[in-house]
Amino acid sequence: MAAAPISGLLAASPLVAAGPAGVPIAQDGLGFYGLILWLPAISMVLCGVCAALRVKSKLPAWITVGCLGASFGLTVGLYRAYESPVIIPLLQWLNIQSGQLTLVADFRFYVDSLTLLWMLFVTGIGTLIALYASEYMETDVGKGYSRFFAGISVFLFAMIALVAADNLLMLYLGWEGVGFASYWLIGYYYRKPSAVAAAKKAFIVNRIGDLGLLLGIYLIWHNFGTVQYAALFEQINAGGYPDETGGWSIKAIPYLLMLGAFGKSAQIPLYVWLPDAMEGPTPVSALIHAATMVTAGVYLLCRMLPVMGLHDLALPTVAWIGGLTALLSATIALAQYDIKRIFAYSTISQLGYMFMGVGMLASAAGAYHVFTHAFFKAVLFLTAGAVMHGFAGQVDLRKISGLLKMPGWRITGLTMLYACACLAGVPLLTSGFFSKDAIMAEAFVAEAGHGYRWLGIIGIVTAFLTAYYAFRVWFRVCAGEPHFEPGEEHHDASGRPRGEFHPHPPRLAVNLVLVLITVGAVWSIFLKRWAADMVADSTAGAVREAPAHAAGFWADPHLWMPWVAGTVGLVGIAVAWYFHLADRKAAERLKNALLANPVARLLPLALQNKWYVDEVYHATIRFPLWILGHILNLFDRYVVDLSLVDGIAKIPRALGRGFQPLHNGILHSYAISMAGGATLVAVLVFLLPQLVEFLGGLLGGQG
Amino acid sequence: MAEPASMIDKLWFLIPEIVLFGGVVVVSVMGLARRRIVRDAVPLVVCVFLVAAMAVIPFLYGHDRVFDELGRSRAGLLMPLLGRYVKLVVCAVGILLAMMSVWLTDRKLEAAVASGRARFDPIRVSRGEYFAFFLLSLIGVMLVCNANDLIWLFLALELTSLPTYIMVAISRPSAKALEAAVKYFFLGALSAGMFLYGFALLYGASGTIVLTEMRDVFAEQAAAGGLNSIALIGMLISLLGVSFKIVAVPMHFYAADVYEGAAAPVTAFLAFVPKTAGILAIMLLVSTVGYGGRTAAGIEGLPQPIMVALWMICVLTMTLGNVGALLQRSAKRLLAYSSIAHSGYLLIGIIAGPALGFDAVLFYLLAYGVMNTAAFAVLAGLQRRGEEIESLDDLAGLRARHPAMAVVMALAALSLVGFPPLLGFWGKLSVFIAGVEAGRIALVVIALINSAISAYYYLWLVGLPILAMPNAQSQTVVKSKVVWPRVAAVLAAVAVVVLPFFAQRLLSGSQGVGTPPAQQPLADSQRARADSQ
Repeated sequence: MAAAPISGLLAASPLVAAGPAGVPIAQDGLGFYGLILWLPAISMVLCGVCAALRVKSKLPAWITVGCLGASFGLTVGLYRAYESPVIIPLLQWLNIQSGQLTLVADFRFYVDSLTLLWMLFVTGIGTLIALYASEYMETDVGKGYSRFFAGISVFLFAMIALVAADNLLMLYLGWEGVGFASYWLIGYYYRKPSAVAAAKKAFIVNRIGDLGLLLGIYLIWHNFGTVQYAALFEQINAGGYPDETGGWSIKAIPYLLMLGAFGKSAQIPLYVWLPDAMEGPTPVSALIHAATMVTAGVYLLCRMLPVMGLHDLALPTVAWIGGLTALLSATIALAQYDIKRIFAYSTISQLGYMFMGVGMLASAAGAYHVFTHAFFKAVLFLTAGAVMHGFAGQVDLRKISGLLKMPGWRITGLTMLYACACLAGVPLLTSGFFSKDAIMAEAFVAEAGHGYRWLGIIGIVTAFLTAYYAFRVWFRVCAGEPHFEPGEEHHDASGRPRGEFHPHPPRLAVNLVLVLITVGAVWSIFLKRWAADMVADSTAGAVREAPAHAAGFWADPHLWMPWVAGTVGLVGIAVAWYFHLADRKAAERLKNALLANPVARLLPLALQNKWYVDEVYHATIRFPLWILGHILNLFDRYVVDLSLVDGIAKIPRALGRGFQPLHNGILHSYAISMAGGATLVAVLVFLLPQLVEFLGGLLGGQG
Repeated sequence: MAEPASMIDKLWFLIPEIVLFGGVVVVSVMGLARRRIVRDAVPLVVCVFLVAAMAVIPFLYGHDRVFDELGRSRAGLLMPLLGRYVKLVVCAVGILLAMMSVWLTDRKLEAAVASGRARFDPIRVSRGEYFAFFLLSLIGVMLVCNANDLIWLFLALELTSLPTYIMVAISRPSAKALEAAVKYFFLGALSAGMFLYGFALLYGASGTIVLTEMRDVFAEQAAAGGLNSIALIGMLISLLGVSFKIVAVPMHFYAADVYEGAAAPVTAFLAFVPKTAGILAIMLLVSTVGYGGRTAAGIEGLPQPIMVALWMICVLTMTLGNVGALLQRSAKRLLAYSSIAHSGYLLIGIIAGPALGFDAVLFYLLAYGVMNTAAFAVLAGLQRRGEEIESLDDLAGLRARHPAMAVVMALAALSLVGFPPLLGFWGKLSVFIAGVEAGRIALVVIALINSAISAYYYLWLVGLPILAMPNAQSQTVVKSKVVWPRVAAVLAAVAVVVLPFFAQRLLSGSQGVGTPPAQQPLADSQRARADSQ
């Protein structure tokens, strides 16, 4: 068959046909679960009504929490009822079938274990964070409160559509939807210029990725004639696709999808939007920019894993980009002072690990890391939010200290400790330890080639840096002697403080959510096997020949990696302890010593300035575009507007003036014009056969 | 030839019209009642009858009712399923239009009566007759679906138009409205004369007035070497005459003046109801000459002279509509020209032919009806100095004081441009796809260029209410006394946003509706004969 080259390619990759051929469509009984998607939509509408009625209570929060909670409950129900992959039809949407053209995209759930894994934590953590936000946003009750919760509902609606879709078009709808919700919520404080700028930046950077995804979807449709997962996977697994007509247009697909994933999941080169996205309210940072939306890219690659095999360098590219992003953003996180920014860079770094895992076909490990990370990163952001909330917007780690010893802050401090430990990968006690090591071990297990061994080393170095910066935050903020300075929200417009400042510790809703998610983080330690099975049973299950491990400790990375990574993590924590608790002056001394040296000073400066990536983008992309924009503006103003538009606009005006006598509002002239026009048409049609032929040729020539 | 259809079979499909006619009688009596509450209930009663008619329609078109054992239409119709879709759409949009017209007439008189300054006088009120004519015109459109001969078609078209002349005249107490009505009436009479003459020629060429028989006669003529030239001339004159109803070039002259002169609810009515009737009539007429002929490119389509005529009308109509709209400063005139342009887009579907093209046209009619109603309802729902707003300046900065209306106007305009994912986008998409599939690429390219031109003026309607700052004139815009036009605006806007989710269902609702049942085999036999020659 003509398909031989590509099926050969498939055989070379360790992917084995994992997609169940012909996923059945649920006839009835399961349609009920469509409510998982519709409940957030209902909540959105109700919040909109609340906004219109100017509700001045916490009603929108309770509506949202209720709907999302019910959605989570239904997801759990769906999980318990789940036996084998099934498609649940919800709504007919697009069904274009005419001639060669077929485009079928309906609102349908594609339920398999991968979908369920994502849906469970998206709805579960979404509910908890909405609960947290009910208290966090309380100063805005009656102002932006309804708007905020409407945004959260839009986000959940879109995210569920993205994750549960049975075709790429619905996925794209959700993809754009979460991007829109993210824009909406980052720019929530729309009176703050930096928030507006951050929202715009996030939106525009994401557009670049989205363009890639859209082109990828188009090429998939172009080459395979379908955008539905089931039909697509069936074709790919059968190896029956038009490789001769395809060529580059098939090989480009994985790279385009990858670009989309890099945009949404903040990887090199499109990661720059995520740190700025921290301008949004903290629950948004926790929900959208740490736990759920940013994992959409990982989800896309897991879901499309069979498609990613269309070119054999695609997945190694993903792994390398992931590893480099992990390292780069970890180094930047070392030198930041803003707690939320540190956590944002750590999110990028951890996402890098996930991409590394997926790229090395350890999709189970990658997805397990997504799962554990969702919990502990949510806790980190929520504790940071609690601190911000309590200290009037203070996020500088130099200005708060000794949180544990302050009354009412114990839960915050302890949950943050556990989450930091997870991030650092403290052995045996933390979920991060198990998930991260699985990925790094895979780097040494994976077939040689593509330099995966180096990638593993990068992973270990990054693990050290991660442990250091995570505990730098904790030792600074939570340990040591109590001391604080209130943030800028304590000042009025003229910059004077508003009376004496008292920090207000978090109350029930915040503490409850913190404890619940921390419990979830602990619980996720025991879910490694379960998560791995969930992924392995789905189309993302990468079945690899188990390498024949030589006997002995050093021969099997899965055995020694925990010890190495654990040690590295503990060393990182110890270094952080020395510099940021035992002798806080030491860090300053080190920095000053480095700054005094003309060569070495470049390092801390570069770190603090995020390797100047924003500046480089500004110089290489934004500035030329700015110049181009101005040139085009001039062109538009003088060439297009003056000569073309105005010129063309003069034509109808001139014509109008020419025909003015016809449109003069006088009845009989209208009648004469009509009769004349009709005669003219009749004459044109009948008495000028040559013209007819000419016109016919003109028309026919196109046909 | 099949024996004439029985009266019962014909009447069966007229049940919705009969229901509405009951409404006409009730409403015209109620409008004269002494008690004000009864008079005020008139629009409500109209809506109730429209809902009742809608409720009946789905039960009428059972397969066995529509077709006999041989798969022919029982009522002898060219397109037996047409009514199922069109009548529902007409009634649904009719409800929105009725809501817009709630307080259109008698405003001053009723106020005077309520304050005791005047006595109630049945001679001077016109609400009852306004709504009676409103329903009669809707009945006219619905009857077009059931037309099985030329006389029925003519009467149905006139029943659609005659009430609208009066509605324009009584829509507002000003000389402008009267002038508009007179112009509209005389030019309408001229066009009616034209297409009646065309019908007569068609009868002369075919020897029959029954549409299905005409189709067979013309098919025989075509197979025997081409259509009778009298038939061609008759068809051409009929199409040109009916073009008046759809405001197509060269019969568009009245549009701007009349649309501007009538009150906004009536303008919305004119832009939808007679246009629907005209498009349906054109569909029926061109189907009699059939799509079995061959064009120069060898694609099956209309006989070439008819094709060329429609092609010219189509291109001129959309171009003139869009270019004309660029110059307008009055929102109503702008929408009048936009209405002309949209007729051009509709004609693409007609040229593409069944099944895809006609389906697209029917879907487009629904989309256009809803979005156009939304735009006009905004004009009807706001006032300045006691008159409905008209100029674009009135719309500037609407967002500040009437945010809901600003959003509705923006959505309606975006939908009229064809901005995805709003309703208008799906309408345009389906028409353009039909055009491409029928090989009319040049036509679709021209339409796309026209769409781009139209974005220029539609975006005013988006930008002015949402982005612009209020000016001195728009500061004085207030809400109209009754809330119903604004309710209609919001409902239509919601439909513009929500209906796309059901695009598939709506499209499949119109699918096959416009296809004559026996057309396929006939075309086959024709082809066989053409091949053997």
